[in-house]
Amino acid sequence: MKQDWRTIDTDLLVIGGGVAGSMAAIPALEAGLTVTICEKGRVLDNCGSVGCGVDHYLTVMESGPEWDTPEFLLKHVPDLTDGIVDMAVTTRVIHEMPRILRKIEGMGVDFKDPKTGDYSRHRSFGLPGAYHINFDGTDFKRRIGKHVRVGKATVLTRTMAVQLLVKDNRAFGALAFGFRDGMWTAIRAKAVALTAGDVNRISRNASGLAFDSWHFPYNTGDAQAMGYRAGAALANMEFVETTLTPKGFSAQGLNALVSLGAYFINKSGERFMFKYDPKGENARRAVLADAVVNEYLLGNGPIFVDCRHLPADILDHMEETLQVDRYTLPAFYQQKGISFRDDPIEISISELSIRRSGVYFRGSGLAVDTNGETSVERLFAAGDCATVSGGIAGAAVLGHIAGEGAVERVAADNGALPAIDWEEAERVREEARASMARPEGMPWLAFEDRIRETVTDYVGVRRSEKGLRLALDTLSALAKREGDLSAENLHGVMRVHEARNIRLNVEIMATAALARQETRTRSSHRRLDFPAPDNENWRKFLLVEKGSDERPSVRTVDTSEALASAFARKSPDSAQRTVA
Amino acid sequence: MPAIEQRVHNPIKIDEAICIRCNLCDWICPGDVIYKEEDNKETLPVIAYPQECWYCGLCDSICPVDAITVVFPEQMLHNKTDVVSLLGKPVV
Repeated sequence: MKQDWRTIDTDLLVIGGGVAGSMAAIPALEAGLTVTICEKGRVLDNCGSVGCGVDHYLTVMESGPEWDTPEFLLKHVPDLTDGIVDMAVTTRVIHEMPRILRKIEGMGVDFKDPKTGDYSRHRSFGLPGAYHINFDGTDFKRRIGKHVRVGKATVLTRTMAVQLLVKDNRAFGALAFGFRDGMWTAIRAKAVALTAGDVNRISRNASGLAFDSWHFPYNTGDAQAMGYRAGAALANMEFVETTLTPKGFSAQGLNALVSLGAYFINKSGERFMFKYDPKGENARRAVLADAVVNEYLLGNGPIFVDCRHLPADILDHMEETLQVDRYTLPAFYQQKGISFRDDPIEISISELSIRRSGVYFRGSGLAVDTNGETSVERLFAAGDCATVSGGIAGAAVLGHIAGEGAVERVAADNGALPAIDWEEAERVREEARASMARPEGMPWLAFEDRIRETVTDYVGVRRSEKGLRLALDTLSALAKREGDLSAENLHGVMRVHEARNIRLNVEIMATAALARQETRTRSSHRRLDFPAPDNENWRKFLLVEKGSDERPSVRTVDTSEALASAFARKSPDSAQRTVA
Repeated sequence: MPAIEQRVHNPIKIDEAICIRCNLCDWICPGDVIYKEEDNKETLPVIAYPQECWYCGLCDSICPVDAITVVFPEQMLHNKTDVVSLLGKPVV
């Protein structure tokens, strides 16, 4: 039965070679474990969302002042997240921040400003202190990726994992295929880390181009979908994220401009942000996006970002660093024929993503415990696919925690790995191959376009029961077309799998959004039929799992509890407690 | 009326006179968009899936001879979309 399958047995399998995955691999390699990484990209040094570079890093440094301590930041986390946050996991993540920062510096990442020789720290996005280090992170991922390569991890590139191997609520590997070489691999592992990022390509934006997105368009919720199908619980999936981008190009770079003093103005030239938040342009991303949504709905658009009032040295600095987060942004302005020094830049609401809804520490994705382990034993998650995230710092810290958790699990292991069900593996492969044999089937792009239409109209920044039900009907109808999706070649087979993962994530989002009968964090979850926050009934997590009918099933967990309190499996901690 | 061929915008312009046919753009592309035949110094890289480009410019940044220019399409440079059309249909 296992004809033409490559098989690999490894200690830790990492799915997704970005910051979180690389950081998860590092403690395992240091502990002498074998590590295999599945990655859709080709060069580990440039894989993932920040393969092109990054310009800010959120961290506590314990440099002296009270605000720079874990305790101070933690005190503010409930307000930053509107009360929906897993404090147990967040507490561990924030406490580990200084240690992980030092570790990354040890890999050769220079967070300091070369001009001053010191860290350039800024206060932005509603945080109660100057936690963001602005730095030239062009080489950030390269340094971390190099560290993993030197540690001798096996990296399967241009390879997509499509299904987890699970037995008795315990993960033991995955099935993956190479979309350049057509090679199918069955990987058995003593622990698995899912680190494949957020969910994009879910809605329309100004340009109408599916792959023109603020976040990485090749992150399509593969981890969340595979985890869900394997029985893992997800949380915070009802919250949607949007940001503000130059109109026509969904590019990053907003944080740098805003933290350096740029204003937002409407068509009348009014600096309106203070109408929405006393922090003005320094409000949380979710608030900034919501304010611009509102201004557009009031007829006050177009909205602009305005840097003209800033002194020349700040403008020079902006110009020098404009390309750090998105290399092509200067070329865009140049081809457009404008300069942010002299012209207000017209901005738009970006497309939507499922990530962390413009809020630090409230990630939308796989629910994890304080070791980064999901509700499925030996299945870990970190980065933008996990329930505690916070940009690259969140990915780095929780990634490292998950890696250490996996080391612990592997060390405690005394049983043989379960056998692979080759009949099931063959079924998965045949299903994938079949999409190449039906040219008359539904193209994956058309399938995705239908999803983007329905999300934009009914699951985006203005939701209602009626709209969400309409969307769920469309999504159910699309589920039935999945067996009819067609791919031109192996590359298309990858896109077909991505399209299915996008659909499933959106169905989970719409189901959770229907259940949360309140509005929370403004446009992140605005119910037109329940327009106010309801702290009495809804200071709760929504946990989503695969129900007995295979459809998403929702239950609530009080936010005074950790999400892991609702897990069926025993955590290593509780097992130890029982023994003691 | 003659059929008008709907041409897909090519986001990655490669200067054939400069390109040294080295593979790096294929290797670095995060979206599996650029294909270059390995070990063949005759063939040029092919932009196999132009619609799937993120406009990240990694190919441009790594090209050792500066043969690549990222070219934005009209709908990105001079966008006419009504932003309100992206803000959902209120059905209550």
